[in-house]
Amino acid sequence: MSPIDENPQDRLAEHFDEMTGLLYLERQLDAERARAVEAHVAACLSCRELLRALENEAVWLREALVSDDESIPARVLAEPQRGTIGWGWIVAFGLGIGGAYTLWTGVIQPSLTQAAQAGFTQGNILTMLFFTGAFWKGWDTMRSLPEFLAAATLGGVAVWLLRRHWQRFTTIAFVMGALVCMLGLPPSAAAAETKHGDPNYTLAAGEDVKNDLIVLAARARIDGDVDGDLISFSNSLIVNGHVKGDVIAFGQEIIINGPVDGNVRAWGQSLSLNGPITRNVSTWAAQLEVDQKATIGGSLMLLSQSTEIDGQVGGDFLALVADITINGKLGRDASIRGDRLTIGSTGEIDGQTKYVGRRQPEVASGAKLASPIQVTIPRRGPDYTHADYYWHQVLLWGASFLFGLVLLLLAPGLFSDVVHQTKKAGPALGFGVLFFLATPIAIVIACVTIVGIGLGVSALFLYLISMYAAQVFFGSWIGELLLGFSAGVGPAVGRLALGLAVVRALLMIPFAGGWIWWLITAWGMGALILAAYHRMGHANAQPAAA
Amino acid sequence: MDRQKTTGAMSEAELAELLSQVRAGDTDAWGELYRQHAAAIFRFCRRVLPTREDAEDATTEIFMKVKQKLGTYDSSRPFMAWLYKVASNHCWDTLRRRRIRQDLETGDLETLPLEHPDPGQLERLQLESTSKEVRTGLAKLPDRARMALVLRYYADMSYDEIADTLGVRRAFVGVLLLRARHQLREVLAGGASAAEAAAGRGT
Repeated sequence: MSPIDENPQDRLAEHFDEMTGLLYLERQLDAERARAVEAHVAACLSCRELLRALENEAVWLREALVSDDESIPARVLAEPQRGTIGWGWIVAFGLGIGGAYTLWTGVIQPSLTQAAQAGFTQGNILTMLFFTGAFWKGWDTMRSLPEFLAAATLGGVAVWLLRRHWQRFTTIAFVMGALVCMLGLPPSAAAAETKHGDPNYTLAAGEDVKNDLIVLAARARIDGDVDGDLISFSNSLIVNGHVKGDVIAFGQEIIINGPVDGNVRAWGQSLSLNGPITRNVSTWAAQLEVDQKATIGGSLMLLSQSTEIDGQVGGDFLALVADITINGKLGRDASIRGDRLTIGSTGEIDGQTKYVGRRQPEVASGAKLASPIQVTIPRRGPDYTHADYYWHQVLLWGASFLFGLVLLLLAPGLFSDVVHQTKKAGPALGFGVLFFLATPIAIVIACVTIVGIGLGVSALFLYLISMYAAQVFFGSWIGELLLGFSAGVGPAVGRLALGLAVVRALLMIPFAGGWIWWLITAWGMGALILAAYHRMGHANAQPAAA
Repeated sequence: MDRQKTTGAMSEAELAELLSQVRAGDTDAWGELYRQHAAAIFRFCRRVLPTREDAEDATTEIFMKVKQKLGTYDSSRPFMAWLYKVASNHCWDTLRRRRIRQDLETGDLETLPLEHPDPGQLERLQLESTSKEVRTGLAKLPDRARMALVLRYYADMSYDEIADTLGVRRAFVGVLLLRARHQLREVLAGGASAAEAAAGRGT
């Protein structure tokens, strides 16, 4: 602020600045300074004109802001819903609860029972698939469902507490990084030896690792013994030695010749088992070969493209596979879903065999089966004449509704933002199509490199989740179009329920349903990307003039 | 500007009576309160938020908050001041969450021209610009500048209230307002590029 000089001779050179003028007009100057300005203005035409112009500008601004040439939307004029939830929402919520119940009794519980029958008798399927010794041994003590739910709730609360900080990209990167680390590097590493190949790693015959062994290498060869678990992130893994714990392996080619006292969990291009495995095997491999020298004491669960079983499986057999040939022995029940089943002349199944596939199984004359195979050849395409089809659609609706509820309750802000972005059809579809097509390519590229496997798998999970979430966001927007907007969780739940029902009905349209699914998925994914983009601070949106 | 003018013709006594009824749980009174003030709050939101849909959503959400927080309202203070405070906090939080509000507080005075503006030029600008053009220009300003002008010249907030809402020092409010005026003048005078550069710097 310029000093105000009372000397008339200095007045022209000592005009007060614009800031002082504004503060004077806004009555923000202290009394002494205000008097000095008044005295100066009385004698200075230039400053008097400046004050008048600034004052007029304030009036002009007020008039421009208060004047109104835009109608008030009917939605704003209508009083928002009162605290009570209307009958429509109650019905929708009831349907949701019904869907949840049918989902549980119709899908989840039978799956758990089936898994239990297949020898996985550990509490729940999530624990079985992900946590039992696979990533962290501590989960062994948390197998029960209530404990798992408690952990999930705790995670939800943490996410809620962090939701404001999630706006920062760095925080997201940190959380994602921590997640990847949690998945990829077991905390039990404190009691493990970690070996980095240069680029290859070999545990020589005669050497003995007393703890768990974690190997990261291009090629890993284990000729010695491992007293704990063997965890490998290697392009190629050959195990000739004795592993007393579990073998957990990610890689392109995994060959296990030596004995394994624990379980084998493997994700890779090909898995070849040539030795005795005391407990269970679960795998996700394009090709699986169980050699005739191999014996599996427990169950074998697999997701594969091509499988040949020449050895013995002591427990249950659960397979989702395109092409499977059985020349070995399956000691208990077998449940197979696939494209082609061949049982050779040396094949033997001592329990009951269920097969669901497109072709009739081929069974050689010498094969020994305890009971005839129960064969189901599903019809291609939906059977609109059968009530089961519609029941299944209700279950699918229930599942998506539940998923939407969780999203809505855990991240209402994000949910609202994504639904809002769904309204921008062009950008959402554009980004969605790009993301839909480009992400799988990026995931494949990430998985090709050893270092990128963890990232690739995480990205794949996120991609699949976002695909599923897309229809939830789209459905919620459809619900908003139909029911109109009103704030609060109750109306949002109702919109979600109705919108998802509409989406489900659209997906049931013969022939067009697949294309509609594609369109909805791309649209919803695009909206998710746009919302995330805005939250990360890259938005450059400017407010529209009123 | 008298804040009451934005809300219709309700006297202070009537408003006080209405508020006491709302607090007592009278849903009809709540409906009346909403109808009296919704348009003003929508316009406020429209001035500061990016889209009409944003303003609609925000209006609804603001009134939900008002309903929840009405118990904390000090009836010795003007209701409109409190209402605009709730609205401005909500809108500012919305902008903050979207991270489209990043204009820097630093670089205060040095970014302001020290010479007198030409009063004649200022008056010509005021004569030549319609209200709609002013609002269009306002939309091109950085969020904080736009917010400051709306809080001061639409919601009639004091410097203390503006400082509290925007999280700046009270002494900075005048600078913020003057800088916003300069940016608006530049936009309206055709210097959009300069203002956009300022916006780009800020966002």
